Amino acid sequence: MTQKEIHTQRLLKELKDLALQHHTRRHFLKESAMGLGALALGALLPGCTNNSSEVANNLFDATNPLTPKSPMFPGKARSVIYIHMAGAPSQLELFSYKPELSKLDGQDCPPSLLEGKKFAFIRGVPKMLGPQAKFKQHGKGGLWLSENLPHLSTVADDIAILNAVTTDQFNHAPAQLLMHTGTARLGRPSMGSWVTYGLGTENKNLPGFVVLTSGGNNPDAGKSVWGSGFLPSVYQGVQCRSEGDPVLFIKDPDGMNRDIRKASIDAINKINQEQYEEYKDPEILSRIAQYEMAYKMQISVPEVMNINDEPEYIHQMYGTKPGAASFANNILLARKLVEKGVRFVQLFDWGWDAHGDSAGNAVDIGLVNKCRLVDKPITALILDLKQRGLLDDTLVIWGSEFGRTPMQENREGKKMPFKGRDHHAEAFSMWMAGGGIKGGTSHGETDEIGYSAVSGKVDAFDIQATILNQLGFDHEKFTYESQGRPFRLTDVSGKVIHQIIT
Amino acid sequence: MKSRILVIVSLLILTGSLVSYFYWPADKIDYNTQVKPIFNKKCIACHGGVKQKAGFSLLFREEALGNTESGRPAIIPGNPDESELIRRITETDPEERMPYKHEALSKGEIEILTQWIKQGAEWGEHWAYLSVTNEKVPDINNEWIRNSIDNFILNNLQEVGIQPSAQADKPTLLRRVSLDLTGLPPEESVATKFLNDNSDQAYENLVNELLAASGYGERWASLWMDLARYADTRGYEADRSRSIWKYRDWLIKAFNDDKPYNKFLEEQLAGDLMPNPDDSKYIATAFHRNTMTNDEGGTENEEFRTAAVLDRVNTTWSALMGTTFNCVQCHSHPYDPFKHEEYYKFTAFFNNTRDEDTQAEYPVLRQYSATDSLKLLQVKDWLTKNVSTEKGNEYYTFLKTWQPTINSLLCDEFKNAALISSWYAGLRNQGSCRLQNVTLENKNQLMVRYTSRYDGGQWSIYLDSLNGQLLKSISLSNTKNEWKILTTDIPLSSGTHNLYFNYFNPSIKSLDETGVMFEWFQFGQQFPGKEKTDFDVAYKNFNDLMKSKVEETPILIENNKEQFRSTHVFERGNWLVKGEEVTPDVPHIMNPMDANAPKNRLGLAMWLTDKKNPLVARALVNRLWEQLFGFGIVETLEDFGTQGIPPTHKELLDHLSWQFMNDFDWSLKKLLKEMVMSATYRQNSKTNDELIRKDPENKLYARGPRIRLSAEQLRDQALVVSNLISKKMYGKSVMPYQPGGIWRSPYNGDKWVMSKGEDQNRRALYTYWKRTAPYPSMLTFDGGAREVCVTRRIRTNTPLQALTALNDSTFFVMARSFAFRMQALESNDVRKQIQKGYESMLFKPISNNRLSALVELYTKSMSTFATDKKATTEIVGTSNTAIPETAALIVVANAMLNLDEWVNKN
Repeated sequence: MTQKEIHTQRLLKELKDLALQHHTRRHFLKESAMGLGALALGALLPGCTNNSSEVANNLFDATNPLTPKSPMFPGKARSVIYIHMAGAPSQLELFSYKPELSKLDGQDCPPSLLEGKKFAFIRGVPKMLGPQAKFKQHGKGGLWLSENLPHLSTVADDIAILNAVTTDQFNHAPAQLLMHTGTARLGRPSMGSWVTYGLGTENKNLPGFVVLTSGGNNPDAGKSVWGSGFLPSVYQGVQCRSEGDPVLFIKDPDGMNRDIRKASIDAINKINQEQYEEYKDPEILSRIAQYEMAYKMQISVPEVMNINDEPEYIHQMYGTKPGAASFANNILLARKLVEKGVRFVQLFDWGWDAHGDSAGNAVDIGLVNKCRLVDKPITALILDLKQRGLLDDTLVIWGSEFGRTPMQENREGKKMPFKGRDHHAEAFSMWMAGGGIKGGTSHGETDEIGYSAVSGKVDAFDIQATILNQLGFDHEKFTYESQGRPFRLTDVSGKVIHQIIT
Repeated sequence: MKSRILVIVSLLILTGSLVSYFYWPADKIDYNTQVKPIFNKKCIACHGGVKQKAGFSLLFREEALGNTESGRPAIIPGNPDESELIRRITETDPEERMPYKHEALSKGEIEILTQWIKQGAEWGEHWAYLSVTNEKVPDINNEWIRNSIDNFILNNLQEVGIQPSAQADKPTLLRRVSLDLTGLPPEESVATKFLNDNSDQAYENLVNELLAASGYGERWASLWMDLARYADTRGYEADRSRSIWKYRDWLIKAFNDDKPYNKFLEEQLAGDLMPNPDDSKYIATAFHRNTMTNDEGGTENEEFRTAAVLDRVNTTWSALMGTTFNCVQCHSHPYDPFKHEEYYKFTAFFNNTRDEDTQAEYPVLRQYSATDSLKLLQVKDWLTKNVSTEKGNEYYTFLKTWQPTINSLLCDEFKNAALISSWYAGLRNQGSCRLQNVTLENKNQLMVRYTSRYDGGQWSIYLDSLNGQLLKSISLSNTKNEWKILTTDIPLSSGTHNLYFNYFNPSIKSLDETGVMFEWFQFGQQFPGKEKTDFDVAYKNFNDLMKSKVEETPILIENNKEQFRSTHVFERGNWLVKGEEVTPDVPHIMNPMDANAPKNRLGLAMWLTDKKNPLVARALVNRLWEQLFGFGIVETLEDFGTQGIPPTHKELLDHLSWQFMNDFDWSLKKLLKEMVMSATYRQNSKTNDELIRKDPENKLYARGPRIRLSAEQLRDQALVVSNLISKKMYGKSVMPYQPGGIWRSPYNGDKWVMSKGEDQNRRALYTYWKRTAPYPSMLTFDGGAREVCVTRRIRTNTPLQALTALNDSTFFVMARSFAFRMQALESNDVRKQIQKGYESMLFKPISNNRLSALVELYTKSMSTFATDKKATTEIVGTSNTAIPETAALIVVANAMLNLDEWVNKN
């Protein structure tokens, strides 16, 4: 670097700092103006209010939106890997051990379970369907897990199972939205957006919120489950892809080598610098910084998305094959991303909707196959995070949008060709691990046939509250002002599930 | 000397104020600016819309003065000493003192409340709910001023001691106003004319030309599409395609024709209720059919119908009136004077439209071919002449909309039958179902749309029970995988009945096979005028038209009396818990509806466009201002209420709103012209450290606007400068290049199929908009998914934007083409090529530093490409013209299309 270049760089930095100060000040002013309204509302008012002087409203700095920020209190978790099985796996073949249900197999469903209920596909009186898998207890905690999860069973003492999760949505798209955005309708920010908005991200050269999908389809609710809603769009999830560019448009056009790209970004920034001298608009400095960051991301993203260089034992452990579009590859990527400081990694795997309308959708065939594809990599993730010392501050969540009925599906009142179950909102299972979660615990119980939650009932809001809590946020005070009122991820409810926290 | 004078003056002032304090009654306390802020800050959390502790609420005057749980009122007008409120805020016992467990009110605040009660505790309304007033233009003279906008702006600036900026240079102004008014850079001829015209009229001529350009309508339609949540798909899981692009075209035409804003709104809200609506009026109502529908299996149609109705209410308020009404869905507004039941009274205006979340998106406007349109006219004219005008209109509407009909999804009590895919009543062999409350009075004909895979089916209709009187038995044949309309006579009966349907088909052996699926029913009368001449022609035309395959656009149609839906308050906003029944009305705080106006959407539209409506004109003026200046006069475009950010120039907002309604007769073009003709708008946007410190966001307008262009403008201007742009207007949405793997909706085979030829290069507003997977570059540049009304796009500045503009092959192809254009402008000399290219982008000469930076980039690139044939070919795209010089110039062009001055208007 020549003296002149060094001088220019120093100048540039000074200007940036200056601009930042302005922004901070402008921000402070804005907050004081808006803060009055926010202060007016007590913590007493649920939902439609925020309160709180401690949480500055709308912590948005357009110049540096992703700078790492401190949470409200020290959290146990630093980052999150959220694994969502889109379509809703059957809890009755995985986590919810119901021997009584076997005895009822093939019998008509008692009318009391049907009165006043509405199902997605079940019509008339369906038959009960016994569990299609064998269960055993595992680990010191004695958690019940089915034979479909032989690998996960070996780390039973690292996970906390929620066996009485409920929702009020029995269609995929609204239920997924509820789980990830706190409402069954479209238009609110997703959990990952909230978290990156609140905490920023630790690696400037990678997006703060990364989404990985597998199974051939996007989740039913589409990109809205990682959308930023009313939060600035910079907080939306960035979808990393296993085919084509790992991040859209990260690759230079064919024929443009890195040197030329570097030269062109230098030219752009040099001219923008001159433009800044002329206009003094701090946004220009921000643009200069974004082009520099883009250049760095072009190196860091493909690097982190490349699993070729992982040692063989890691591939063995996860069951990964470089180049394939698979759930296993995504899980390994999740570990790499978190290791590099990405705040929130969201995985969706499609194809768990076991209605029994085809072999692939049968709880005794398709489901078993799907389990084979995810059981090993998920277990590897836990072990791998652990051996790297990352599990303690990485919160791992596994779950879905709802569960499945103890009855066999009878679409339009007819017998189905295979064994399947309909959507079920009243009881399903999820689990969490790492990030301050108490391993080897099971919380919540359902009745003898797994139809309804009878104790330890939790819902999407409780899970969201718990995730935010582990990251250091009081979900009732973590708000964003939009359309004239403060919004929270948990809307008007949600309780932290203390039973599964260390 | 000076200081002594100062002391004397101060003493005089002090004495004066003491005198006034003791001898004149204290100034009148203003509720809005003095009292309401204290309530909002300190009291309303516990004593307001959501909570009313101790039975005390400060939201409305009648509540505040009413009896509390103690049996006595807390405020007694004129008597602060007897008022519990004053006692509580001055109490010393912490258990009694209010605000409970919070900091006490200051002395000043207590004094204000005491005086206010003493003066009668009068309520005042928030400014935004009072009608627009004709503000006096500040009387200042200054050469800088060009029109009355400047008087307001300068008046403010003078108060804070800031000078406005001089006019921007001509090239900057040219590009700014052109992008603002048409969303495009100016055409070369327009630019040349303006730049060479040194007369005083030059700028005004330019503005007139831009306002008259067809691009103007496209640019403003883009904005309205955000508000109307326009999309080419339905949303939710499968997110299937929706054909509603005619509404987009309607918008473009309306803006280009400068349809007065009041008419523009009336037609969108209630075009169908106007006398003899033509296609254009029907299509306007698609505004409120851009709501989402859920196709997912097993969904409750009524739930999503209700969601769509509430979305119409919320959008009407947020888009047209800048007010957040959603809060009131669950409880009275915590800050603004809207009551819970008022939300549902307003909902009642929208709750009687025919849409019911059907698969076909009924009701739709059937748009006939030219030949068919002649037949339609024949049917209408024949009926008018031979039967009655009324019948002519009735059949016209029916042929255009297939309404009124009854959707089969209303059937219930399915036995060996089911509602298939949540839309179609399907009967299996010997299966049955019920259709409730069908009026049969004077009905002698049944029309039904159905599909069946079997011949020999027998459909029997019974009155009031399966054992009831047989109304009619109808043979159903195989429709060969198509939907078919069957017309049959039915015997006359009286009154309203529950109809029971039964299906039997001896040729179907299994009980599990679905024999027939119904879509809709119409109980009506036979085609009239049998005895008249040419009956056969008219009736045949009618039947032909019913069968025609046509373009369909979802529209609004009102329920008839038989299909009337009552509207109820939803307790705590829950649609399943219905409270008291309500009838359509507007909130009490606003201008009342005209007594003669119908209590339906048409009356509602008239209320919105009544000049007394305090919000409609202001919201629009504010929105246009935001488009030009980057921020609204009220920054929160979506919230003019007490929780929104207060206006920076309230008088100016009112002045422009008044002009807009009264002087400009709701003309958007006149309003925009007024704005862009002002000296305020024409200022240069250069700033300095002092100005940045005093006014970082340019809220005082001491400099011109400098903002990043919208996603649409960015695409469009790059298409223009690269000579690729297609001038084609209107039509189905198009699919320009998009990387693979973006669309992956489950249960939906739709694919992104690249459009051919010039459709690759249409303006951004024609790009197919899929809600669950919007066009990536639009999303990156802050476009919304348009699931619901996008009231405001928040601008961001991210590395993903840089990557998109650098590498998205759509943008790279444009850079390539721009380089070809530079070469065509000037052969051989690269410096001149870049100079000319830069001028075609920004209409001014390039600076030396810029030029040398770009030439340096060119030289560096040349050194690579000179020895790398493969890279050269890849950059240029074809091997015939692939020379290193071209490749290097493409790299330069790519950089030029990423310059800050290019992605911003300056």
